[in-house]
Amino acid sequence: MQIRNGRDFWAGLMFMGFGLWFMVVSQNYPMGSAVRMGPAYFPTVLGGMLAVLGAMVFFRAFVSKFAHPLKVFTFRPLLLVAAIVVGGATYFYFAESQLKGAPMLQILQSALAGLSLFLFIGAFGPRSMFLILLGVVIFGYALKPLGLVLATVILIVISALAGHDFRKKEIVILAVILALFGVLVFVKGLGLPFNLWPGE
Amino acid sequence: MDFALIHNLGIGFGVALSLQNLMYCFFGVLLGTLIGVLPGIGPLATIAMLLPVTFNLSPISALIMLAGIYYGAQYGGSTTAILVNIPGEASSVITCLDGYQMARQGRAGPALAIAAMGSFFAGCVATVVIALFAPPLAEVALKFGPAEYFSLMVLGLVGATVLARGSLVKAIAMTILGLLMGLVGTDVNSGIARFAFGLSELSDGIGFVIVAMGLFGFAEIIINLEQGASREVFVNKVTGLMPTWKDLKSSSGAILRGTAIGSMLGILPGGGALLSSFAAYTLEKKIGDPSNFGKGEIRGVAAPESANNAGAQTSFIPLLTLGIPSNPVMALMIGAMMIQGIAPGPQVMTERPELFWGMITSMWIGNLLLVILNLPLIGMWVKLLTVPYRLLYPSIVLFCCVGVYSLSNQPFDVMLTAVYGLLGYIFVKLECEPAPLILGFILGPLMEENLRRAMLLSRGDPSVFFTKPISGVLLGAAILLLLITLAPAVRKTREEAFVE
Repeated sequence: MQIRNGRDFWAGLMFMGFGLWFMVVSQNYPMGSAVRMGPAYFPTVLGGMLAVLGAMVFFRAFVSKFAHPLKVFTFRPLLLVAAIVVGGATYFYFAESQLKGAPMLQILQSALAGLSLFLFIGAFGPRSMFLILLGVVIFGYALKPLGLVLATVILIVISALAGHDFRKKEIVILAVILALFGVLVFVKGLGLPFNLWPGE
Repeated sequence: MDFALIHNLGIGFGVALSLQNLMYCFFGVLLGTLIGVLPGIGPLATIAMLLPVTFNLSPISALIMLAGIYYGAQYGGSTTAILVNIPGEASSVITCLDGYQMARQGRAGPALAIAAMGSFFAGCVATVVIALFAPPLAEVALKFGPAEYFSLMVLGLVGATVLARGSLVKAIAMTILGLLMGLVGTDVNSGIARFAFGLSELSDGIGFVIVAMGLFGFAEIIINLEQGASREVFVNKVTGLMPTWKDLKSSSGAILRGTAIGSMLGILPGGGALLSSFAAYTLEKKIGDPSNFGKGEIRGVAAPESANNAGAQTSFIPLLTLGIPSNPVMALMIGAMMIQGIAPGPQVMTERPELFWGMITSMWIGNLLLVILNLPLIGMWVKLLTVPYRLLYPSIVLFCCVGVYSLSNQPFDVMLTAVYGLLGYIFVKLECEPAPLILGFILGPLMEENLRRAMLLSRGDPSVFFTKPISGVLLGAAILLLLITLAPAVRKTREEAFVE
């Protein structure tokens, strides 16, 4: 048996994984009956269908007439394992009761969750994807504490680094223009409730 | 032509021609073209990005503006296809074939002008088609029970998978994955937050804009960067806009045929702009001398451009009458209507006639504005194309982020969009078309709800889906469609059609 089509191989695994995951998680909810369907009924059926289709795609990878290498995109398994370890530890270690009234622990938990996410994103694909999505997530979490202007500058610089040729001067000008545009259009014009500077 | 139609259109024009709505229509068309013209951003990403702009408007103004954005983006996409050979979305792939060749021969001007004229003509016809066909269809839809709705959604999803590019099995799998993702969040009947990891942010479900922006906005940028976009822009060659007499003569037939095909195919579930433009191009090739096609034949621009505009517009019919989206863009429109507190469906026409007819007439006005706006402004759009991608994409990323954040002012939404960006990249790499996923995502909760109700009413007897006449016909059509696609002959042509 030889894998002929790498794309089908991974796609099949992905669909099977999603299908089984939805099926397994559904079992925490009441199933109900065909007459009165519980919250688990529809997702269990769909999850099963997805897993079967995934298996079809998976086995097709061995007989496909389209040949495609197994390496579809860069994949760094070590980072994925690290992401799962950090993420799992964060999820199970911090109890809800423990976090209440302990700001330091909350910050630690958020930081670890963020680290896990970045390790996860970094496990797949090219450097440019990591940088863009990194910029996006940082923008999301920085917008409130740092304000629109600084968050914009950070996002523009990080995402510009993802490109092929990074020209410092150009990016600085772009960041300034877009920050100004954001303030005038989003905040003054459209009235979106963003603060402009830190601590406002 | 009956009196009711004229009366209804009168209501519509009364709404659409108010100064305020006219202005929103104008802004929609302008913004849509502005963003749509940027290479690598299709109508879907454009609408998702501009959705927050409409949040503070009244429902009718918001929908008018969104429809305007849609046509604008569609038209902007063809401009990019002709001048840069990068299709903004799948439906302008066909325009690239001959449009780009015309541009290389220094005839970009006539190609753009014919595309605009064809689109306008198609838009006029499609508006009338909607006005004629929507009311009777809505009347039928009012008789729909849960079983009929369920079967209709099955048909719509099957239609979408059949038309998706690439493997059919993968497309079906993507649809089901979409349905499952749509179920994340609180279950209406039991109040249980499903698949939420105990996160309160997920208890309301995943926002549609988040999924669309991640899968279509971010993933596209990442892919573009990875491929290292290299492109040749014919900027200086856009001189005379006016097509010659000969151009007009040979393309008028193509425009008529394209419009007819587009208007018909747009109504089909899963149809719309993409199928229409493919079909129209194939027909043109069959009719006249095929040797010029692919070498700058003007009919090869006129027919698909008319068809995709007609199809784009008539695909509003299933949305407005049945509340079922026939393609991802319509799914986004449903999302937008829900944000505005309107439940799409047949009752919209009777309960909110001003909304329904105002939107339809504004489609015509939008098309008119497109022509008025685009032909003189073409120079400006062309200039926009010369902005290098290294400056463009950070700006797009920023607008996407601001758009997502403004949905509910939660950093979590932005993070989730990043995760969908990652998923979108993986989907593209594994040749899994994300469009069916989006449709499934929107229909997931609706399907479950109607399935539950239908089964409750039939006391658990699943045969009800086949024994009720309308439902039976719809399901039968879905099964037939699947079987036809699986037939070896069709399968082969389907593969060839998408390779082309």
